[in-house]
Amino acid sequence: MKLKHLLMGMICTALIGIGLAHFSPALAADKENCLMCHKYRYMGIIDEAGKRKNFNVNEHLFLNSIHGKVACRECHTYIKKFPHDPVKEKVNCANECHVKPPFAEKNFSHKKIVKIFDESIHGIKPDDSPEMKKAKPNCKYCHQNPLYQKVENTRVSFDKTLARCRNCHEEKGVEQAYKHITHRLRHKTTRSSREIVALCSKNCHGDESLMKKLGVSEEAQEAVETYKESIHGKATTLGSEQSADCISCHASSLIHDIYKKDNPKASVFKDNRLETCKVCHANRNKHFIKIAVHPSIKSTKNPFLFFAEIGLRILLYGVVSGLLGLLFLEIFRRKRDGIRMRLKAGTSWRR
Amino acid sequence: MTSGTNGILLHGATSGALPDDYFTHVEGVGAIPRDIYKHVTSNPFGDLPRYSPHIVIQHFLVFTSFLVLAATGIPLHYSDTIWAPHVIAVFGGADMARYIHRIGAAIMVFGSLYHLLSITGSTIQKIIRRQFDIKRTQVPLPKDLFDLIHDVKYFLGFVKQRPKMEKFMYKQKLHYLAILWGTFVLIFAGTALLFPEHVAMLWPSNSAFVQAVARLMHADEAIMALIVIALWHFSNVHLTPGRFPAQWTFLTGRITREHQIEEHFLEYLRNLAEIPEEREYMKSLLFELKISDTKGES
Repeated sequence: MKLKHLLMGMICTALIGIGLAHFSPALAADKENCLMCHKYRYMGIIDEAGKRKNFNVNEHLFLNSIHGKVACRECHTYIKKFPHDPVKEKVNCANECHVKPPFAEKNFSHKKIVKIFDESIHGIKPDDSPEMKKAKPNCKYCHQNPLYQKVENTRVSFDKTLARCRNCHEEKGVEQAYKHITHRLRHKTTRSSREIVALCSKNCHGDESLMKKLGVSEEAQEAVETYKESIHGKATTLGSEQSADCISCHASSLIHDIYKKDNPKASVFKDNRLETCKVCHANRNKHFIKIAVHPSIKSTKNPFLFFAEIGLRILLYGVVSGLLGLLFLEIFRRKRDGIRMRLKAGTSWRR
Repeated sequence: MTSGTNGILLHGATSGALPDDYFTHVEGVGAIPRDIYKHVTSNPFGDLPRYSPHIVIQHFLVFTSFLVLAATGIPLHYSDTIWAPHVIAVFGGADMARYIHRIGAAIMVFGSLYHLLSITGSTIQKIIRRQFDIKRTQVPLPKDLFDLIHDVKYFLGFVKQRPKMEKFMYKQKLHYLAILWGTFVLIFAGTALLFPEHVAMLWPSNSAFVQAVARLMHADEAIMALIVIALWHFSNVHLTPGRFPAQWTFLTGRITREHQIEEHFLEYLRNLAEIPEEREYMKSLLFELKISDTKGES
């Protein structure tokens, strides 16, 4: 009997396994069998600086990522032979790849957005200092080939929206495109506000000494600190999704067009703020936009607030210590006078 | 009563060094010694009227909304501390806490308006009936300063008896004024934070400054209120001997006899005039303690 059960169990498991294997995604992206080597977990080198680098590619994760349909060499174009030499070049996101989006005839490329990015304050300029060149981020600093994230059904009715797309588009292509763009329809970014602030602060804007070295303005040096003092910053720190993060204000919907605030193209340029603030503050007006988004209380800038803050603090300590002093005096004397802690038998006093 | 005969009663009664105002003569009751509160019997839930149901309800509205406001606001102010995310998580995260904070604020504004209306109404009523007495109100008077000095002297042992105080003593008047001011500041600064666009239109030339002042005042006033309430008010009504574990006035609207006589002696004299049962009680107590009427007059 037992053997029979065991056999049945084994057969069922095997059938389920075969079924699962059958429905797993096709290995379309790896036509050239790069995974022959890159599938190994510890595929990597130790470089001259002694740093370990891992070149393993998790097939399952990659196939479900944004670039799951793109063959390896469409981005890693510099690889010409097999096995290839050590890689010196970096991926260029402005490349054209041989994927045609379901709604276009041309090959796909990130050219346009790369151009906007290159023109922004973060693009490398010829007259940048070597440190500045090194400090500036590239595409991959923020975009790490994320997995598809479906928007919650409660917020966007997935089927309803998709049904409308299918009026014209083929089901297969449109689903992929839909998954790709829906998370951008509701929020400016896939990352949460807190992650955006962390990403901007981590290696760069939060590092005041680096900011000083790069010669940015005093205001920009302490931008992260002052932001965290603001109501936006405090709410974001606690995980608010409605509060403004760095790129809510510093970029338009193009996301990559970040400029210094004195550049007329900047979303935070004084003439553009009415538009920028409108995204959240529908009732904004020309007086509202003067309110400090990066507030700082300094004796040089706003002496009244600086001394008011000190005054309030002294008042607080004075009031609290005075009242508590009075309280302790009162308790001490009344205890000596014969009062007890508890109201017993109708009185608190020792008779 | 044994204590009446062995002389523990009536501090210094036998020593002869009695202050002039030690006995208070009340017509039809007798001579009441100042420290009679050590000898009366009290119901912990209160013997004498102090607050109307309106005041009890208003206190409920204000203290519940205050606790909610503090619990949702303080973590935001100290958002970079280790505990803040955990406290805010109780309210469903920062985005939900915002709305809860506003609901709390609405309740507090309602409670404050209710209070202002009810005290204005009852004051007008009392003026019309010619019963209004400024000494029974929260209005600070010079006497309060003298009471404070007297009380500090008592605490330090320079005088033997506490001052004879009105329905609201210096502590309560100070606290009440602080709440009036604090609520005023918090409501106005909070409104400026909630409607920055509209407030900017009200002060067009210095909208940024007004907002900065509102931010500073809202946070600092709230922290002050929280510390004063958590450390001082809670101690006064929960931990102080004689009030432990709670002064039930906030539920019953009534005050214990011993508390009334100790800290609100002048109000107690009015209670004697207004409540016949209290007069009877005090009369029989004085008789039991063998304090003769004539002694009071001497």
